[in-house]
Amino acid sequence: MLAVPEAPAAERPLLVASDIHRHFEGLHAVDGVSIDVAPGKITGLIGPNGAGKSTFLAVLAGTLPGSSGDIVFDGQDVTAWPAYKRARHGLVRTFQLPSEFARLTVLENLLVAAPHNKGDSLFGALMGKRYWIGDERRLVDEARVLLNRFGMSAKESDYAGNMSGGQKRLIEIMRALMLRPRLLLLDEPMSGVHPKIVLEIQHYLQDLRAEGLTILMVEHELHMVERLCDSVVVMAQGKVIGSGTMATLRRQREIVDAYLVG
Amino acid sequence: MDLYVAAFGFGLVSMSVIAIAAVGFTMQFGITNMINLAYGEVMISSAYVAYYLNKAGISIWIGMIAGALFGAVFSFLLNRIVYAPFLRKGTSHIGMVIVSLAVSLMIANLLLPIVGYYNVSYQDTTGGLIRAGGIVLTTNQIAIIGIAVVLMLLIHGLLRYTRLGKAMRATAANPTLARNCGIPTQRVVDAVWLITGALCGLAGVVAAMNSDSFAIANGAGFLITALAAAVLGGAGQPYGAMIGAVIIGMVTELSAAAWAPEYKEVVAFGILVAVMVLRPQGLLAKRGALAAAG
Amino acid sequence: MNTYYAANLLIYAGVDIIALLALNLQFGVSGIVNFSFIVFQAAGAYTAAVLSLPPDSANGGFQIYFGGYQLPFPLPWLGGAVAGGLLSIPVGLVVLRKLRSDYQAIALLVLSIITNEVITNARPLLNGAAGLALVPPPLSDQIDPNTSSYQYFYVGLTAVCVVLVFVLVNRVVNSPYGRSLRAMREREIAAVAIGKNPVQLKLTVFIVGGVIAGLSGAILVGFIQLWAPSVWLYPETIILFAAIIVGGRGNNVGAILGALLVPVGFEEVTRFIPTTIGPPGLIPALQWVAIGLLIIGFLWFRPDGVRPEPRHVFDGAPVLEDVDHARGT
Repeated sequence: MLAVPEAPAAERPLLVASDIHRHFEGLHAVDGVSIDVAPGKITGLIGPNGAGKSTFLAVLAGTLPGSSGDIVFDGQDVTAWPAYKRARHGLVRTFQLPSEFARLTVLENLLVAAPHNKGDSLFGALMGKRYWIGDERRLVDEARVLLNRFGMSAKESDYAGNMSGGQKRLIEIMRALMLRPRLLLLDEPMSGVHPKIVLEIQHYLQDLRAEGLTILMVEHELHMVERLCDSVVVMAQGKVIGSGTMATLRRQREIVDAYLVG
Repeated sequence: MDLYVAAFGFGLVSMSVIAIAAVGFTMQFGITNMINLAYGEVMISSAYVAYYLNKAGISIWIGMIAGALFGAVFSFLLNRIVYAPFLRKGTSHIGMVIVSLAVSLMIANLLLPIVGYYNVSYQDTTGGLIRAGGIVLTTNQIAIIGIAVVLMLLIHGLLRYTRLGKAMRATAANPTLARNCGIPTQRVVDAVWLITGALCGLAGVVAAMNSDSFAIANGAGFLITALAAAVLGGAGQPYGAMIGAVIIGMVTELSAAAWAPEYKEVVAFGILVAVMVLRPQGLLAKRGALAAAG
Repeated sequence: MNTYYAANLLIYAGVDIIALLALNLQFGVSGIVNFSFIVFQAAGAYTAAVLSLPPDSANGGFQIYFGGYQLPFPLPWLGGAVAGGLLSIPVGLVVLRKLRSDYQAIALLVLSIITNEVITNARPLLNGAAGLALVPPPLSDQIDPNTSSYQYFYVGLTAVCVVLVFVLVNRVVNSPYGRSLRAMREREIAAVAIGKNPVQLKLTVFIVGGVIAGLSGAILVGFIQLWAPSVWLYPETIILFAAIIVGGRGNNVGAILGALLVPVGFEEVTRFIPTTIGPPGLIPALQWVAIGLLIIGFLWFRPDGVRPEPRHVFDGAPVLEDVDHARGT
């Protein structure tokens, strides 16, 4: 079972992004976006193409620097933190395009993400196998539990690069989970995935939410958003034009005009 | 002070030579997104073509045209036979760098047994000296400046006013979109290699003319200065390369006057590294050329 | 077969293996295209030389260089290794941080070209183009370097270093740390997303590789007793890259194989071609052409090399029928 560290108080948002701007060469991809991400919930981030959703996610994760604005994650100001530091503190992202480590096996893809491995430093490596084999075995067991849960045990020793699109997507999610994330930023997790696997991923995400994981996901498929997300933020042209549940959003004319159909 | 005025004059010539080389180099990068490390060797090869014609009694100016033609054909074939197949295969940026490095090594060493290790130079008796307020240049050097200016104007005209130029700019900005809009990208790419190859060849002859002597070993130095100017101006930006050439040409000549002439390339290298570290997109930054993750 | 020839062969092989293990760590495993590798070997050689040479007024004062401390073995070798490592720090800090991969490669390539030029031109530093000669071999005051037994001794010394480097590099590559390096090589942006600090990883590998490269230079200069810019021109790095590409990237066995096939095997095979064929310098020039062809040929037909990086299978893994192999350059 996924052990999530002590969940924060239900009222306090896990992540607060304030007035995030990101402009690059004159283009304002993110133009003053502020959102609160509630803990233990799945929040959707939707909007037409070019709204800046993926860019915003990248700024939250630290992959892209924001031009201005603050990000407070679980009470800590992470605005100046590099991406790898945010990941180590539980703010983990996945990518829209497949980002598996192609020439590592599926199991290795998971292992490499696990922190707390004595062998994962120059010193530890030079000390030799006996020094870190204990940690390694423990992590292999942990990873295998995950693989089993996501139905990929048989593929453990295959190169991740040889997996199908949906399998790669699962690998990325499992890899992120090895980090014991507190907030998972998913960038279109269902895109390019076979409908059967889409359903599987949906169930996995619901299970993870039940275990206390917080998720913010960019998604195009509105039916999926409706089924999965507790609340939704709508972006267009770099700004937030509405937030709330899908039901309330449908009632707002501007949102419907801008984006939703039906 | 006279030293610096004279160096300024040399800087004008230098920047002309570098501009021709750098614009060609940067346009190759702009269209194909690959850094052609064999560029310097093609320059030198063209310089040798002009040399052999010169030895046979042909004027160096005809030799320059021959060098340009040679550079055009050589570069075109290089792309068709080596680079394009590797690119089609999906070779990474770094793979292409290694390929072009291997090619440059092969060109240099195929030429060495033929042309020898020793320095050679052009025989040209038509030149005289022109003096103007402390600047002393030969008529050949003045001609080089003139040729560079004309070429820059031609390139400007090509890019701005011709269909080919527009197609080139579109392909550089977004090859897939360009193809989908009906631009015959294969032919555009071929045209780019021919044109930039001609610039490369011409630059080689002109660079050789501007030196007391040259040999195969100079190829690396030619590459470094063209590379530095192109990167400084913004990889893939022809106008940027022109600006980069002005800066590098002038700075290297002035520093040669201030310190030592042997270290001209070191200065160019210093500028290259500084640009790469401080402002990798160069002076005229534009999306696409460098934004893509390597 | 006379002892000197055999010793020459074995020592060069040992030095090449050590160098390639380091380059493989940087390039094959971590994806750092260190086109300036030879500079670090040279740094080690020069350092070992000036540490073991007498002051430059000796031998009639025909060389100018700094240093000349006449230190006994093993200090020059340690000094060479340290020098390689120290030089890696500023170079790594400048180049490995914000540049995209092909820019890094080019910056390092140009560094290699320029460093060679500067050392050639700045004569008082390391005796310029002529380089350093009459470098005292290790322990030459105790064993006469002109005897066969000294040759055996030197081969043994080199062999010890090879084993030492192999064990250490092997530990690094086949460890969770090595796995992180490979992940960074595969897709750096995803490695960052799982908490890897790419700058720290690259810098560490660069320095470790620099230390080993420096050691290889010290070993070589102790044997051939001279070192000049002509020995470490930038194409020397390309031979090493060809060896990695041919032998197989990302694994130490491939690196050793590459060392035996390319720098060693190549040199040995062409040794038997008489150099009087054709114009002078034809054979060396054709060697380079062949190296270029080897690189291009292997990158086209077999980018993974003769011995590709092996797939890591863990105990207790399910048994598979079809064993596939991800390709890529």
